[in-house]
Amino acid sequence: MGRYGRYDDDGYRYGYYSYRKKIKATGGIKAQSKRGAFGETWWAKRWIGTLESFNIGERLNRGKSYARSGQVLSIDITKGQVKSRVQGSFNDPYKITIKLKELDASNWGKITSALGSQAIFAAKLMAGEMPQEIEQVFQSNSLSLFPEKLRDLETDCSCPDWSNPCKHIAAVYFLLAEEFDRDPFLLFKLRGLEREELIAALGKFTRSATEAADESVAETALPPEPLTAKANSFWQGGVFPENIFGEVRIPPVNAALITRLGNFPFWRGEEAFSEAMDSIYSKASTEGLNVF
Amino acid sequence: MIILHAGFQEKHLLLWGETAPSEPFTAKRSSKKKSDKPARLIYDAGADGLLTALSEFLSGIKIEKSEFENVSLWLPTVDGQPVASSVLIADPPESKSPPVLAAWTVTALPLATVEAIELLSLCADKSLLSPGVVAGLDLAYWAMAMRFAGAMTVRQQLLPAVVKEDDKHHARWLPVFVGPDAERAAKLARVMPHVCRAMSAADVTTPPDNAAAGLLADFVGLIVDFLARVDRENQPTKKRSFNSLHDQWLNALRTMNSELAGKETELLQFAAQTRDWRRPVEVTTSSPFRLCFRLEEPIEPKTELAPSARRSVSASSNQWHVRYLLQSADDPSLLIPVADVWNAKAKQAAVLKRPNFNAREFLLSSLGQAASISPHIEQSLKSSAPAGYDLDSTAAFEFLQEKAWLLEQSGFNVMLPAWWTRKGTKLRLSARANVKSPKLQGGGGLSLSEIIKFDYEVALGDETLSLKELEALAKLKEPLVRIRGQWVQLSAEEIQTAIEFWKKKATGKASVRELVHMSLGVGGKGKSVKGIAFEGVNADGWIGDLLAQLDGRKAFQELEPAKNFNGTLRPYQTRGSSWLSFLTDIGFGACLADDMGLGKTIQTLTKIQRDWQSGDKKTRRPVLLVCPMSVMGNWQKEAARFTPDLPVMIHHGLTRAKGAAFKKEAAKHAIVISSYSLLHRDQAILEGMDWQGIILDEAQNIKNAETKQSKAARSLKSEYRAALTGTPVENNVGDLWSVMEFLNPGFLGTQAEFKRNFFMPIQTQRDEQATAQLKRLTSPFILRRLKTDKTIISDLPEKMEMKTFCTLTKEQASLYAAVAEDAGKSLESSDGIQRKGLVLATLMKLKQVCNHPAQFLGDNSAIPGRSGKLARLTEMLEEVLASNERALIFTQFTEMGGIIQRYLQENFGHEVLFLHGGVTQKNRVRMVERFQKNTPGSPPVFILSLKAGGTGLNLTAANHVFHFDRWWNPAVENQATDRAFRIGQQRNVQVHKFLCAGTLEEKIDEMIERKSEIASSIVGTGEGWLTELSTKELKNLFALRADAIGE
Repeated sequence: MGRYGRYDDDGYRYGYYSYRKKIKATGGIKAQSKRGAFGETWWAKRWIGTLESFNIGERLNRGKSYARSGQVLSIDITKGQVKSRVQGSFNDPYKITIKLKELDASNWGKITSALGSQAIFAAKLMAGEMPQEIEQVFQSNSLSLFPEKLRDLETDCSCPDWSNPCKHIAAVYFLLAEEFDRDPFLLFKLRGLEREELIAALGKFTRSATEAADESVAETALPPEPLTAKANSFWQGGVFPENIFGEVRIPPVNAALITRLGNFPFWRGEEAFSEAMDSIYSKASTEGLNVF
Repeated sequence: MIILHAGFQEKHLLLWGETAPSEPFTAKRSSKKKSDKPARLIYDAGADGLLTALSEFLSGIKIEKSEFENVSLWLPTVDGQPVASSVLIADPPESKSPPVLAAWTVTALPLATVEAIELLSLCADKSLLSPGVVAGLDLAYWAMAMRFAGAMTVRQQLLPAVVKEDDKHHARWLPVFVGPDAERAAKLARVMPHVCRAMSAADVTTPPDNAAAGLLADFVGLIVDFLARVDRENQPTKKRSFNSLHDQWLNALRTMNSELAGKETELLQFAAQTRDWRRPVEVTTSSPFRLCFRLEEPIEPKTELAPSARRSVSASSNQWHVRYLLQSADDPSLLIPVADVWNAKAKQAAVLKRPNFNAREFLLSSLGQAASISPHIEQSLKSSAPAGYDLDSTAAFEFLQEKAWLLEQSGFNVMLPAWWTRKGTKLRLSARANVKSPKLQGGGGLSLSEIIKFDYEVALGDETLSLKELEALAKLKEPLVRIRGQWVQLSAEEIQTAIEFWKKKATGKASVRELVHMSLGVGGKGKSVKGIAFEGVNADGWIGDLLAQLDGRKAFQELEPAKNFNGTLRPYQTRGSSWLSFLTDIGFGACLADDMGLGKTIQTLTKIQRDWQSGDKKTRRPVLLVCPMSVMGNWQKEAARFTPDLPVMIHHGLTRAKGAAFKKEAAKHAIVISSYSLLHRDQAILEGMDWQGIILDEAQNIKNAETKQSKAARSLKSEYRAALTGTPVENNVGDLWSVMEFLNPGFLGTQAEFKRNFFMPIQTQRDEQATAQLKRLTSPFILRRLKTDKTIISDLPEKMEMKTFCTLTKEQASLYAAVAEDAGKSLESSDGIQRKGLVLATLMKLKQVCNHPAQFLGDNSAIPGRSGKLARLTEMLEEVLASNERALIFTQFTEMGGIIQRYLQENFGHEVLFLHGGVTQKNRVRMVERFQKNTPGSPPVFILSLKAGGTGLNLTAANHVFHFDRWWNPAVENQATDRAFRIGQQRNVQVHKFLCAGTLEEKIDEMIERKSEIASSIVGTGEGWLTELSTKELKNLFALRADAIGE
């Protein structure tokens, strides 16, 4: 393909219609939000808002459709940086990088001491929610959590489109927004502070971040319980406690635990995650009643 | 006899069985063998034993012999002898050495989860799985644990995961033990019988010591994982390919194919990702504490506000408080105010220091979650050390009604004041019907369909509220108000309606029958009048009397038996008979549930007789009496004795009347007796009649509403319905619906409504309100008196002798006829000593046939279903055991004693003692001691051979004596009876003498009764006098009367 015109990646040449179809990807990451806007939470919406401020026109919608149809093959997030691969019309997927400007240690110090004055910031973040007041805390220190146009954000894609952000970058943007919905700490990570670092700074906890990470995996081993040789307790056991089953009724809303945890990160399944879970949980409830 | 047990190991329930060894234990077979493998357990049922037992009650499971395996089982062992779980297997070792744990080899069957579920479902509420197959307490334990897993699945307390097992990654569903479920699991683990954990692989040399909590969690995990595989029927033959690991995971979570395929690094990464994703929930489940919200009510003002209205209705202080506390998971009584979390120097801060637990982080993340449920909590977080918040009564009401539930659903604990129930405050404003009875029309009697007008009044509990009080309440505009010292929830509409009730003098109208329903709460609590819950009827006059009589506040009229009644009623029997008439006369069904031996039969017969005597000779109709075949003869005999003027028809047997002939025949009788099996088979014929009444004896036969006989019973037309039973129906909530639906259709709602409103709340949550409401609905229609009731006991003689007439089975009848015919022929051609011997031998044979064909044939053949006496004995013993009483059974035949013992043990799953001539003196003493111990564990049934046990022993723990066969010598029988009826006996003793109707047993009994001189002359002479009878007399004696034959 010659480079004599302005093409976007689909081979759509401005002024002419010479259309080149994108290659359908399989097993890619699929956006879980229904038709309409991406990002349910205010902070995810703010993130999308940044993208929208670039005025990239139709690329925004194509990016959405890429995100929904699973063209994004991978997303790797490290401090301050996102790397991704997106399947376009070339055989080789495009490589995308999104870099955010990290805040330095002294700025983080100011922010965390301000956030530490009220329990609500740490509490809400740990519960998966970003308190709206957080923006004011940043502003009052003349800082911003969300990237502002050029100063804080650097994006790059290996596709031939002249526009930056292109629709591939937009697709990654949208998928990131969904992940922000679930994990508000991700925004902090992109600004240079990991979850454990933030929590430690907020609560002035004594443990190091690595200790905290270990704990969730470590299962406390139960102490051994030797068998008795006394025939009665050996064969009979204790008296069954009263009301041992709790309330046995099908919950009014299905899959509450899934709702609490949020969508599975960067879901690749053909079926929408929450719908699949909903149907399993509702059927399982009935199965449970059968053996009760 | 086999007792089934199960251990849990490596994701499988391993079933094993215990049976009595063919030869008693000898020290040689100790476990200390030279070989490295433990010796085989002498009680091991083996693969054959297990297969036979399972095939008795489990269908559809195919098991190959190759599936069995040998495992080591660690059992308490004394001097090399393993201690069996029950004396049904083996007596405990006599040695006094202390027990030690030793390994034994047993044959175990690893069950697939689906098989385990099927088996455990059968063990959920009974220990006797089929005759001779008993579920051990460990199996019962797993059944409870399975139901717990079911309950957690219903509540959807599970999450998907990736778990590495045997080097492969699997998609699994994990139970989430959070909040109350964690507490329940801990409680359940504490009562696990140790035998559940006593299995190890064959080569392990130390007893297992894995924690009960861990084993229980694994087992619950297994069940939950199985139940959540909702697409488990789908088992594609071809291997599917997936576009992504996520697709594969979903499929592996839904189907039985849980294994995940893929690159190891990718799978490891994915497993880590799923763990990270679940982390917010797992932080809570692994926490040694949980967050707890306690609602604290305002402090009551000390000064009472005068006068009148303000006296009782107080606005008081409006300051409620919700306090945050941390509650210890191991010790729920340990509650730490969260102030101690924020303040490291606080008193209890040290308690919070646990390995791998950061109290602040846990508290913050918990509060963060709770904040999304309640804005009040969110607001409280704006300080640096939140410990609770204040709220007004509107918010407190919202907390009680809604937030508390939401918080609980999210795994927090919530502590609410005791006056709050799930349905609201215990006390509510209610409307009551205030009924003034109209004058009774002269002579017409009361009519349930008469329409009555009434006023409504507003009440709180039992007290009526005045208009002033209501207006004071309206001014408060509070959803929760303290009235006369008690918290009551109120809505503006409720108060407004209440005030209007007062001002407009609201009225209503209903039939007397509807008023009865209203007063008992038929149709549930949900009923309301214009927004106010309807509660109760307040009536004067005859309607008031009627309501009071129904709920026992007022006595009903006592009726004397009819003139021709041939006997005397005890005072409580007169009351029972009158009660039947009282209820049935006003159109309600009645269930007489007196203890066995109190005379339900005689009370019922007097009621029928009274109706028959007072009825118009041209229009009176028969009563249909349905009973088990085994008691048909008894009814017939009792009717002939007490109410000889009542024509009784037996509708039974192959020659029974059909169609029009039946109708014509039945119309001539006062009572038609038929059996439960015919109830369904002859439904069309029975339905065609317009009965005076339908009476079901042994009404537990229709406890299952779905059976054909239950449906048939409900379909019959009659003026009234009654049920008789000796088992306490009111104690078994599940069985109650069917009996009540027969008696008073619609009273307890549809079966589904009943399950929802009563059965589930009572069975699963022990809902006191539902229990009380059910009792209120049913108690007017069930009369149950116990022998131990003070008012009854004074009416009863200390010893009651009753004859129980049994029916022969068809097999017994034909054997009987054959023996009698043989004897008749031989009698003609014999005399002298030969004749004497022939008579005695024939007597013996006929008695054996009456007892059991297997005894007569002596062929070790099957026991169940072949003897009318044994069937009746089993039925009666069921009632004895259900009331925690004890019984002696005397027989003159050792073989029969053995048959009874085997049969009862297999049918009750309890040990049954048997004392006969072959028992050593030492063992006799031990048996008597054990029986007399009278504790729940000691065997409640004692069989004795008349010769070995008829004298000397002291067995006063029994208050029932059964004479299974007769020794025609009252003195010998009385002596045996006196084992129980003697000094030291605290209760009335019931003596049941068994007789097969229509056989020589009945005829000899008649002869003795008729000629008391014979009776006194034969004392000490046994049965010899019978040989003196003439051939004709003997032929008559041996002949079988037609009515003796069963089906």
